[in-house]
Amino acid sequence: MNKKRKIDKIDIIVFIVLTMWGLSILIPFVNVLAVSFSTQKEYLETPLLLWPKKPTLENYAALFRNGRILIGYRTTLQLIGISLPVNLFLTICAAYGLSRKGYPGRKLIMKFVVFTMLFSGGIIPLYLTVRSYGLIGSLWSVALSTGLNTFYMIIMLNFFSSLPDSLIESAKLDGAGEYTIMFRIILPLSKAVLATVTLYYLVDRWNEWYHAMIMIRDTAKTPLQLILRSIILDSQLLDEVVTESVDIFSFSDGLKMGSIVVVMLPVMCVFPFLQKHFVKGVLIGAIKA
Amino acid sequence: MNKKNTLSHNLPQNIKKTYFQRLAQGIWKNRGIYMILLPVLLWYILFQYVPMAGLQLAFKDYKVNLGIWGSPWSGFKHFNRLFSNPRFFNSVLLTLRINIGRLFITFPFPIILALLLNELRMNRYKRTLQTIFTFPNFLSWVVVTGITINVLSFDGLVNSLIRVFGGTPVSFIGNESLFIPLVFATEVWKSAGWGSIIYLAAMAGIDPGLYEASDIDGATRIQKIIYITLPSILPTVTVMFILATGNIMKKGFEQVFNLSNPAVRNVSEILDVYIYNITFRAVPNFGYSTALSLFRSVVNLFFLVIANAGSKWLTGSGLFGMEENQNE
Repeated sequence: MNKKRKIDKIDIIVFIVLTMWGLSILIPFVNVLAVSFSTQKEYLETPLLLWPKKPTLENYAALFRNGRILIGYRTTLQLIGISLPVNLFLTICAAYGLSRKGYPGRKLIMKFVVFTMLFSGGIIPLYLTVRSYGLIGSLWSVALSTGLNTFYMIIMLNFFSSLPDSLIESAKLDGAGEYTIMFRIILPLSKAVLATVTLYYLVDRWNEWYHAMIMIRDTAKTPLQLILRSIILDSQLLDEVVTESVDIFSFSDGLKMGSIVVVMLPVMCVFPFLQKHFVKGVLIGAIKA
Repeated sequence: MNKKNTLSHNLPQNIKKTYFQRLAQGIWKNRGIYMILLPVLLWYILFQYVPMAGLQLAFKDYKVNLGIWGSPWSGFKHFNRLFSNPRFFNSVLLTLRINIGRLFITFPFPIILALLLNELRMNRYKRTLQTIFTFPNFLSWVVVTGITINVLSFDGLVNSLIRVFGGTPVSFIGNESLFIPLVFATEVWKSAGWGSIIYLAAMAGIDPGLYEASDIDGATRIQKIIYITLPSILPTVTVMFILATGNIMKKGFEQVFNLSNPAVRNVSEILDVYIYNITFRAVPNFGYSTALSLFRSVVNLFFLVIANAGSKWLTGSGLFGMEENQNE
């Protein structure tokens, strides 16, 4: 298949189409970066802004002076801090418990779990339930209502199930309990899937805005994505509720792009190095499909 | 266990007893596993099943002081109102239009991308491209909307290009007729690369012998794509298509909600956006909103059941058949 061949017409077409496609993704990012480093004047005067002639940090300085981004960072980091342990604990327990075989009720529990993928209450009953637990307004409302992602759990379950049963059998003969088996035997062998699922949850919490928008109305506890949303869309959506909290402060395009950069920078920095872990999830999950 | 076998009239009772004994034994022996599963079950009950039970509000008049369980029943009142509301029908039709549109317009892009990448022979470049293609999938729709607005606004990149070539700038963001195409385009931009991974994995699993044999027969590259690559990934394509079908009622809230603005109100109020608007942007009637939620969940379940039947028919296994598979 990989024989050395001359470059033919198809190679050229494939190369051109893929390069164009890649550029159509890359250029908007370059543009966002360029705008964030230029003045409003240069933005309006330069038709194709891909490289600012006189780069300025003014937008970023103004952004951090305004302080809202910092509130967003703080809230999102706090959210990750309380969510991630919950996510991992529940996911590992569920995947381990369901990967074990031959105990009464296993099938029933599996059905109980899978049914939630088919049918759910939806956001309104969830909101009212969380409210009845007295969690509205607290970050725990978001952390707990997104406590476990059944899809990610199944990725982990697929991986655990692929480990040989004999490992567990022999550990049991040595008198190990379930917790010992889970922590000492299964988890050390599952670093790859743990990394993948952790990354998925991390990205999800980093990108969290929907539950927070509904369940937390306190402007001092607004996650990063919602702050960004109000910065970008304020000028568009005058009827939006969030505008109340905004001080009289007009966001120039440079500022808006600066806030986009600030929000996506962490993901952008780590993604190229961790890409293979992200991809692994698809491949483990696909064993079933 | 079979000591009393001769006393036939005692038999059923005995089997019952031993069954429960065995069950009790099994449960006691595996108590460690149940302890591990306990917090998980608790979470599913508190954050999945209790809200599910909350769907009863669709048949009740919600009173804040009485809560979900204590509020009085009101029959099909909310549904009568729902089914006579043109705004509701519009949102359902729009949801179907956008999400069925996705099945035919955005669905093929990851496949095309995977085919192209599979034909690219420069491995280094291929890896770089794949990083670029998959990255946007991990950005939120808030960020993607920001980037989209920047590129497509009046002073943005695309309109600047149009001006350079002497055209008149187009309002992409606030244009009703362009909103749905914009939804499709942004989805391809964000997710096609990520979606292509599963097809690339399927292509990597194709037996190289097939290609070698076709080389001997003098097949062209195009012929190899049509007669070897495509048929080989067809099962994957089928499964992905069916999975997408099961999402018809649910997909797209985050995207449409962020991309929409007052100018495109008429073409952006899909069902989930409608539920949000009447609950959180107006004086809420939780009974009515819950009736909408219930409608959405039931219709989505209906699509999933169809998708599952389709999957069983075409591939021989259901989408949610893992419980059987793992018991083997």
